[in-house]
Amino acid sequence: MRSEHKEYRSKTRIYADILNSIMKHGGRSGPTRILYGANLSYDRLMKHLNQLIELGLVAEEKEKEETVYKLTDKGRTFVLEFVKIEKFAEAFGITI
Amino acid sequence: MELISSFISFLIGYYAMKAYRSSSSRGLLFLYWGFIILGVGTLLRVFTATYVGVITRLEAGTSLSGLINLTALIYSVTQLIAYALFVAAYLFQTRSLNDKTTIVGSAVGSVIAAVFPIYRLFFIPWLELIAITMLAFVTVSTFINWRTRKNNESALVFWGFMLMTLSHVFFLFLPINELFLFVGETTQLAGFICLLTMLAKVSRTSAQ
Repeated sequence: MRSEHKEYRSKTRIYADILNSIMKHGGRSGPTRILYGANLSYDRLMKHLNQLIELGLVAEEKEKEETVYKLTDKGRTFVLEFVKIEKFAEAFGITI
Repeated sequence: MELISSFISFLIGYYAMKAYRSSSSRGLLFLYWGFIILGVGTLLRVFTATYVGVITRLEAGTSLSGLINLTALIYSVTQLIAYALFVAAYLFQTRSLNDKTTIVGSAVGSVIAAVFPIYRLFFIPWLELIAITMLAFVTVSTFINWRTRKNNESALVFWGFMLMTLSHVFFLFLPINELFLFVGETTQLAGFICLLTMLAKVSRTSAQ
């Protein structure tokens, strides 16, 4: 029997998932695509996106009537650095 | 050899600190302090050995046994603290993952590692035995991680800790033959080189 256990995601991991999701869509994406990519509810996504904007990792832009979130250079650097950190932690068997 | 090992230890500690700052993972914090303390202890022994070597050559007949004993004690204690922190990193991780296999596997590994030298040797240096027991726990944890992830980086970490454990087993044989000191230190350096290779591979990683 497979044991079901909900894996806890740290704030950094959620940030990385959001930024990765934007990066996978060419560095700019609408909220719906990010929502599916990062596996978050709409409310939680918006809360985290606002925090990412404050940190300068994501920039908000208006395209016609749609809001698009764009990865900044700082955000791109964060994603690249996070991949390395994740690999380092995984090599030791530590989840982040 | 120990100077290189110490340098690698500082390098891994620095990377673990960088990773901890970005992720706030407690396991990485334990790794960071573990490797830094290990590096400091090893560096202290290198400096003392160099100092003792120079002094005894300049002033023949000078007794430095007090200093040597004190350094040996500090070195052993720093090593034990570092290994305890590595154990803490994995204990914390195991608890958060609730993985029974890791607990059982690690416990079996620790018991085997502790019993083996007692069974084979009549000489028991307790500090080395404690170091072997703690490192065996870490080695088994990293082995389980390697079997789960099946990638080169986790294999290198496993071999790194495996060789470090083996080096302490060789140090146990030191009273029999002094050659075991050289064998032990070479094995220890090989372990650190495995960890350095892992670090080099990780820093070359790029986002897909």
